[in-house]
Amino acid sequence: MDQISYSLATRLGILMGLCCSFAVICHGGEIDFNREVRPILAENCFRCHGFDPAGRKAGLRLDERDGAMGKLKSGSIAVVSGKPKESEMINRVTSDDDEEKMPPPSTGKQLTPAQIQTLQKWIAGGAAYSKHWSFIPPVKAMLPKVRLSDWTRNAIDSFILARLEQEGLTPSPQVDRRTLARRVALDITGLPPSPADMDAFLKDTSEESYERLVDKLLASPAYGEHWGRRWLDLARYADTKGYEKDLKRTIWPYRDWVIDAFNADMPYDRFTREQLAGDLLPNPSNSQLIATGFHRNTLTNEEGGVDAEEYRVIAVKDRVDTTVQVWMGLTMGCAKCHTHKFDPISQRDYYQFYAFFNQTEDANRGDDSPVVRVAVSGDSARLGKLNAALADKNRQLEKMAGELSEAELAWEEQLRHETIWQIVRPATMRAASSSTLAYQSDGSILAESKEPEKETYTLHFPPGETRLTGLRVEVLPDKKHPRSGVGRSHDDGNFVLTGITLKARAPDGVETPIAFTNAVADFSQQGYLVEQALKNPDPKHRGWAVSPKIAEPHMAVFTTEPHDLAAGTELILTLDHQFEFPYPGFSFGRFRISVTDSVAPRLSPPIPASIQAILRRDSAQRTAKDRDEVRTYFVSISPQTKSVRDEIEKLKVEMGAVPSIATPILRELPTEKHRQTRMMVRGNFLEPADGVEPATLASFQAFPAHAPKNRLGVAEWLCSRDNPLTARVAVNRVWAGMFGTGIVETQEDFGTQGTPPSHPELLDWLAVDFMDGGWSQKKLIKTLVLSATYRQSSSVTKELAGRDRFNRFLARGPHFRLEAETIRDEALSVSGLLSRKMSGASVMPYQPPGLWKSTYSDDRWQTSPGEDQFRRGIYTFIKRTTPYPSMMTFDGNSRETCTLRRSRTNTPLQALVTLNDPVFIQCAQALSRRMVMEGPGTPEGQIAFGLRTALLREPTPQEVKVLVQLYNDRLEASRQDPQGAEKLAASALGTIPPGIGAPRMAALTAVANVILNLDEFLTKG
Amino acid sequence: MNLKHEYAKAITRRHFFGRMGMGIGAIALNDLLSGRSAAVAAEKPVGQPSAAELSRKIAAIAPKAKAVIYLHMAGAPSQLDLFDYKPALVPLNGKDCPEEFLKGKRFAFIKGVPKMLASPFKWAQHGPSGAWLSEVWKHLPQVLGDIAIVKSMNTEQFNHAPAQLLLHTGTQLLGGASLGSWATYGLGTENQNLPGFVVLTSGGKTPDAGVSVWGSGFLPSIYQGVQCRTDGDPVLFLSDPQGLDRAGRRQTLDALRQLNEMQVQAIGDPETVTRISQYELAFRMQVSVPDAMDISRESKQILDLYGARTGYVSDLGNKSGDVRDLYRGDDPTFANNCLLARRLVERGVRFVQLYDWGWDHHGVAPGEHIPTILPIKVQQIDRAFTGLIKDLKQRGLLDTTLVIWGGEFGRTPMQQNNNAKFIGRDHHPESFTMMLAGGGIKPGQVYGETDELGYNITENPVSIRDLQALILTQLGLDPWKLAYNYQGLQQRLIGVEGKAKVPRGLLA
Repeated sequence: MDQISYSLATRLGILMGLCCSFAVICHGGEIDFNREVRPILAENCFRCHGFDPAGRKAGLRLDERDGAMGKLKSGSIAVVSGKPKESEMINRVTSDDDEEKMPPPSTGKQLTPAQIQTLQKWIAGGAAYSKHWSFIPPVKAMLPKVRLSDWTRNAIDSFILARLEQEGLTPSPQVDRRTLARRVALDITGLPPSPADMDAFLKDTSEESYERLVDKLLASPAYGEHWGRRWLDLARYADTKGYEKDLKRTIWPYRDWVIDAFNADMPYDRFTREQLAGDLLPNPSNSQLIATGFHRNTLTNEEGGVDAEEYRVIAVKDRVDTTVQVWMGLTMGCAKCHTHKFDPISQRDYYQFYAFFNQTEDANRGDDSPVVRVAVSGDSARLGKLNAALADKNRQLEKMAGELSEAELAWEEQLRHETIWQIVRPATMRAASSSTLAYQSDGSILAESKEPEKETYTLHFPPGETRLTGLRVEVLPDKKHPRSGVGRSHDDGNFVLTGITLKARAPDGVETPIAFTNAVADFSQQGYLVEQALKNPDPKHRGWAVSPKIAEPHMAVFTTEPHDLAAGTELILTLDHQFEFPYPGFSFGRFRISVTDSVAPRLSPPIPASIQAILRRDSAQRTAKDRDEVRTYFVSISPQTKSVRDEIEKLKVEMGAVPSIATPILRELPTEKHRQTRMMVRGNFLEPADGVEPATLASFQAFPAHAPKNRLGVAEWLCSRDNPLTARVAVNRVWAGMFGTGIVETQEDFGTQGTPPSHPELLDWLAVDFMDGGWSQKKLIKTLVLSATYRQSSSVTKELAGRDRFNRFLARGPHFRLEAETIRDEALSVSGLLSRKMSGASVMPYQPPGLWKSTYSDDRWQTSPGEDQFRRGIYTFIKRTTPYPSMMTFDGNSRETCTLRRSRTNTPLQALVTLNDPVFIQCAQALSRRMVMEGPGTPEGQIAFGLRTALLREPTPQEVKVLVQLYNDRLEASRQDPQGAEKLAASALGTIPPGIGAPRMAALTAVANVILNLDEFLTKG
Repeated sequence: MNLKHEYAKAITRRHFFGRMGMGIGAIALNDLLSGRSAAVAAEKPVGQPSAAELSRKIAAIAPKAKAVIYLHMAGAPSQLDLFDYKPALVPLNGKDCPEEFLKGKRFAFIKGVPKMLASPFKWAQHGPSGAWLSEVWKHLPQVLGDIAIVKSMNTEQFNHAPAQLLLHTGTQLLGGASLGSWATYGLGTENQNLPGFVVLTSGGKTPDAGVSVWGSGFLPSIYQGVQCRTDGDPVLFLSDPQGLDRAGRRQTLDALRQLNEMQVQAIGDPETVTRISQYELAFRMQVSVPDAMDISRESKQILDLYGARTGYVSDLGNKSGDVRDLYRGDDPTFANNCLLARRLVERGVRFVQLYDWGWDHHGVAPGEHIPTILPIKVQQIDRAFTGLIKDLKQRGLLDTTLVIWGGEFGRTPMQQNNNAKFIGRDHHPESFTMMLAGGGIKPGQVYGETDELGYNITENPVSIRDLQALILTQLGLDPWKLAYNYQGLQQRLIGVEGKAKVPRGLLA
């Protein structure tokens, strides 16, 4: 072993030395199963003798006591309690015979003599198996007895103090009130306390004043921003989709949902349910749909040539891993490929759990569908109502669909007598003006020219029809025409059909007019009725037109006397557009001609070719999918559904009028479209293995009896009282947020490989209390911050430095560097620049140019205007491949994967950010202005004001003296270099306050720059 | 980040190196306060790793290399058109690929039965090893005596991002620690005034796998690569604010230090002590980084040796569309980066990672047409690479600097598109070629061999794991012991399974 690698044994040694009373680690000289034996078995045996029956050899399983001690087919017993020599396991692992030896030499694995000795000792000692501590549901222990009982304020303190007394340590004195106020405000809101809150707290010297401050902070909307931001690390929330292209994604409504949920103190079980399965709740509200954005934060790969299914599978796996990590603190990722080596999670468990998440509609699509529309500002309630109404109408429609069988049959029967329109393709097309006519693949004809004029289209149709009873003209909107209209009038996209004539041309060249007897259109403009096209005395001013519905398709049917056509007869159609008021050009833009020989042709909507094809088949020949399609089509046209459909249309129009964006959500596939979930060999989606049914992890409590077998059931299972982990993991996370380290330090791993809890009974007490208290995080936080433990001074005495370097015993208060966003927010806040605007699209504060090098998009970082560049860090746009650099330097998160614990480094690059980043210079300039405007007239007074504003305490004379010295030095230098002084004082904020002059402002800016870099400022003390 | 592991590490280190009777904090504080009372700090714990700590790590086994310059050709250059001469492909050119090569294989883009593709270039033997090189190399033959060509590289991944991640971070998934971060984690840095792990890019794009290929993954973020840029500040926020000169910055830092020292006396948190030293380091970096990054300090002779050009700033990153259509053979970005790499290594930087994008030549776009694009890409790097080897050698740095050149996988002996306008090859994980030089590598050899069509390896295969083990070993780190506990596993660069062997034949 060298100095870099520190094996498990070394770590254990140190751990034991450090915390030998951690109950879960040591049992005198006994072998601890979880710590020492399970890893050996997991590494070497479980592959063939583990939970997974599929891979099990010789009928032996070693992961549980009964299996290990059962009689095998061979007659031997693997583990005989107390008798290593009789245990077949020991015989096999010590055998020299390659046929006998375990693990088989072919695996390349071999036990070390020390490992064999461990197994022997373990068997000799009774071969005890034990369940890992965190897999046993928590119970509230009795509060331990303590000597210094008047120090304790609540249960937390009893547990902490009992431990301290055991260690012979005493708690630190309570921290001064100013520091306490700053600490608790930063912990609860991520911002320093406002001067008003601070003043009120200092003036009120009653015992309850602190609790009043805490309540006020918990009620502040800043609370939701601070704790919501931490949750977003778990949710891997970002504003782009990741991978190579990394295009934008509009999912900030989810971020706002999180903030709102925290502020409303949504109980953690409901918070869980809505995020994992909001779409599966009965009549989900818009807000519940937005909540499912939690799992739509997975990456989407839009690189050319990728297999969308591959990335859908990766996203689903990410959802599985993230769910288990966030709620149960277990690492599940490795079970994708093989049964978990250490924790009781088999590969089958993995894919059974995966099956719950494998049924959502999303599939690595560029448009991020499915989505829900969300109002951009203000109108969210209205949009929510409209959405709900729409969902309601859609359900009504669905219900009606089920009751329409008879009507559908009748309709189909009627169709047999219905007008059958035949689209006809002209052999030649001519326009009287310079327009070109082009036949389109959909049977329509597109007219184009530079400048539309008065127009006559003449179309020759080849022989083919034998009998004619009518002709239909469809006019179709087209993007190529003004306002994407049906006509070519350059003002409004309208047309005016001023005449229509039809002639039959016999093979001998004789032409016979065919008179139209009637005309009917689906829509005619007021005063411009379709009949006018038949006999038109005033074609310059009259005809058929469709304003204002110029962007919708329309049709007109012109009937004739039934007319038999001799073989070889051509049809010649002319369409006149002679309208010229106030200018010409009112011609068809794109149109389609159909003919019919049906009796009494009627104006009926054209049936799509695909539906026609199905209808031509006998009902016996139709597949279920065919029937589905016909039903869906019929519902969309049937008169029975018309009123509902109209209402839906109306709602859609209303919704369209509300300014809104679309944000991705989860939506379950209908049952009949459910995917078959199969295990994947080594996690490879191209190597599917056995099919599996959805199930929660087998080693934990059973699936709740009455819960639905879907994600909603998973949420119930996670938040069941019987789940041993969910509450522990949640309270531990909050604890770590306040005290810097979790009671279980490995927040991400509560499994057998994680670190044991420093105060197991405290963790369990908090977990049970959390559940008993209705899963309220605000209550939990209040309990933590009201404890005497939390209120201790964080000063490090020599004794504590030696005894408890990492403050695991908590004989002092928390003291550590603030998180990336908090440092930004704090600097903006004390300098007076911070905008408290909440919610909405993410913003782009200043960042150096040239960082985004997106080859496949024109996305650019554009500094947001006005107050938007001074908003809290949670609102900063996160591009996954190029996250905001200054926050990354302070261990911020690029949100590619779920992060349970940020590191907390201390580097020179951080110094460069707070010293030189133009954002922090701007803060220094703003703070120096406050010092001048709000402070007293003297430099000493102004500097003291600056220190007080930033640190929220009275500065010492020595501190002021150091900065006054700096001020004087800089003042002198600035007088030598007025231009430089001007830049330092005003590069970002512009005009210097009147009457002070650039040199003094520059000197104060330098002072402010120092204040914003003080260790105390960057640290929660 | 795991405090206890850091703690364990510190304890272990202390145990093995008794000279460190006090924690880093105490040392730093003593350095800073020089003789003033440090009663509070005398028994300071070691907090999170700091740059100060970086400099105090000591290698585990005798190192051959002190530094690494890794030149990654992102996209994967075609070994069959550069190094791996296969005359047997000539008569097969345009013929269907034999079925035996296709059975059970998964290709990124090839569908159906592809045609074989001979190299469109002329080939000749060069140097003491008689290595075959295609005609696109103009300068490389001059240094064949100093490098080893490894024709038997192979990998497990056949898409760019996963293959790049596997190569550089030891796992095809996001979240692993990169080579450079392992190296600085294991060894620290030799120059406290510069980052220990520096990244430079060219080709107009970052590598396909994004910044994760130089991330620190589960290691503390202090070990992540620092990208140095050639336009603007070479390191973000390196410049003092407008109007504050060096003397002014010094005065502010003096005041800051005095106030922070008061904080040390009042609270006694060793992190404050570390912070004081980090501000001093930042101050020194403000001078040392621009100095290291200023190639105008080099002579014309040296600039010419690399083909470097001072003051050149590529604008490819700001172009839309396919930047490969805009490539010019005389673009000096890569050459400038090679020269910078030497300057950085000279100053004690542990790991310099270059990424050059634009080597993914499928033959489905003009920028992927091997007969025209490969000579352009090689022109961009040929003289620079050759110059780098020569320059390191003439300065006596080659012996202690391991230079690595290569892509994330190879390219197929088959043409990707059977009837395309452009000629290109698909991804080929089974075999590819890399170049290694210096740092204890046996020079002047060609290592490994492939079959007559260049499909499979027939001799001395070198896996990605083997290469990773080789790099760590040359740096004096034991690849099997260099580990970090994360998510319940002893994470290693060479993988949890540890299936790697150092290719001894490559070592001098």
